[in-house]
Amino acid sequence: MKRLQRALGWLAVAGLAAGLVMAFGVAPREATQGNVQRIMYLHVPAILVAYLAFGVVLVASVSYLWGRAAGADRLAHASAEVGVVFTSINIATGAIWGKPTWGAWWTWDARLTSVSIMFVIYLAYLLLRAMIEDRERAARFAAVLGIIAALDIPLVHFSVYWWRTLHQPPTLLRPGSTPMDAMLVAALTINLIAFTLLSAYFVAKRVRLLKREQEVLA
Amino acid sequence: MSYARRTWIVLWKDLLSERRSKEALNALFFFALLLLFLFQFALGDERERLTAALPGLLWLGFILSGLVGLGRAFLAEREHDCWEGLLLAPGDKSAIYLGKVAGNLLLMLLVEAILLVLFAVFFNIDLAAHPLRLTVVIGLGTIGFAAVGTLFAAMTAHVRARELLFPVLLLPVQVPVLLGAVKATEAVLLGEPLGAVGHWLGLLAAADAIYLTTGVLTFDAILEA
Amino acid sequence: MPDNWSFVFAAYGLAALVLGGYWRRLARRERELATRERGSGGARRAPARRGESGSADPATMTRPS
Repeated sequence: MKRLQRALGWLAVAGLAAGLVMAFGVAPREATQGNVQRIMYLHVPAILVAYLAFGVVLVASVSYLWGRAAGADRLAHASAEVGVVFTSINIATGAIWGKPTWGAWWTWDARLTSVSIMFVIYLAYLLLRAMIEDRERAARFAAVLGIIAALDIPLVHFSVYWWRTLHQPPTLLRPGSTPMDAMLVAALTINLIAFTLLSAYFVAKRVRLLKREQEVLA
Repeated sequence: MSYARRTWIVLWKDLLSERRSKEALNALFFFALLLLFLFQFALGDERERLTAALPGLLWLGFILSGLVGLGRAFLAEREHDCWEGLLLAPGDKSAIYLGKVAGNLLLMLLVEAILLVLFAVFFNIDLAAHPLRLTVVIGLGTIGFAAVGTLFAAMTAHVRARELLFPVLLLPVQVPVLLGAVKATEAVLLGEPLGAVGHWLGLLAAADAIYLTTGVLTFDAILEA
Repeated sequence: MPDNWSFVFAAYGLAALVLGGYWRRLARRERELATRERGSGGARRAPARRGESGSADPATMTRPS
């Protein structure tokens, strides 16, 4: 496990370096938004990685309720934590991008709102874990919450999207939807791979840490 | 003992103890009355502003009362040392879950009816125009709330800061239900047919199904010793 | 359209801070754990059996009454 973790770490560093080169060196200046668009190379991979992490939480939670393997519980815990970290990056970079683009730090835009709700839900997941002392009980309850949270995510997205867009004239300037430059897509992809490697490294490290913490406290 | 019978027994026990003590109902009635005053003072005198905000205020009232009511869902078991009785109950514990959900649902519907009447009286609003549509919408929303609320109430029953953790867990998860219910209620109060908000009703129904199914499948894990 | 490079750097800087901060937090906890493990006489390096208090840690030894 430790060697895997190390390998992932170095791969992630390499990926991030490549990502930065792509984001600033290779990808062209976007036509309508200007260079502010380069924030997207952070913003989009962050949320995709977060979704992946929360998906892992779902699978690990179901697996834990089924087989009660401590490893599944640790994976769920670590994934949720990493998912929250990347979600916060998505929200923050979204706001920083929004200020020059839309003129405001925060708008109740459908995606910003639904991601924020998702953020709060998984923060509550971490809070639940922190507040239950008995480890086995915390694992069980967190697993149930992990399942409900994941199933709730599509409901949140649909409801917020309908809430914002139906019967409501578009009030926000949307960036023009021109077909994406191939280099742009490449930069996005490289950064996505880099972020995925980084999140895998973090999850591996966190899982190992949890295992050692549990052994020490046993 | 059959599954349905066990569910019914749990429901009947809760209803009976509530009817005898009327503890929750009285408190919730006064709570609803207080909310009314709060809304009036918070929104001031402009009638248009109040009328426009009415669907949202109504559901705010339902949710705040629901939080208070659901927070007490397992209070009797906790206080009177009956928790072990729940844990030792034979067979599928999901019957207990459904019984509890049914009980909480009925209690919430009762409080909501009271709130509706109070709103109609104090805010001079005609809520009786489309009673059936209103019932459908409020019913769908309340089922979703009761389904997840009962599950989380069982989870937080023994946690130290349960009064804090319970709403923190419940409210963000309930956002889709809240949005759907408010939007659908708005449409009903404007006289629109239910078909106009079919997508919202579909979302509410889907949410209810997901929550109830998950609750039935996972309640056993929550009630383990 | 103006380029708003300050926003771009702010975003990347913030991301670096958050990710770096999280990494440092994990590293710090790992170091704390390592000191604790060493303090317990190293016996816990092997997979510890639950409930076994075979360590020589004076803090966990009960005094004979």
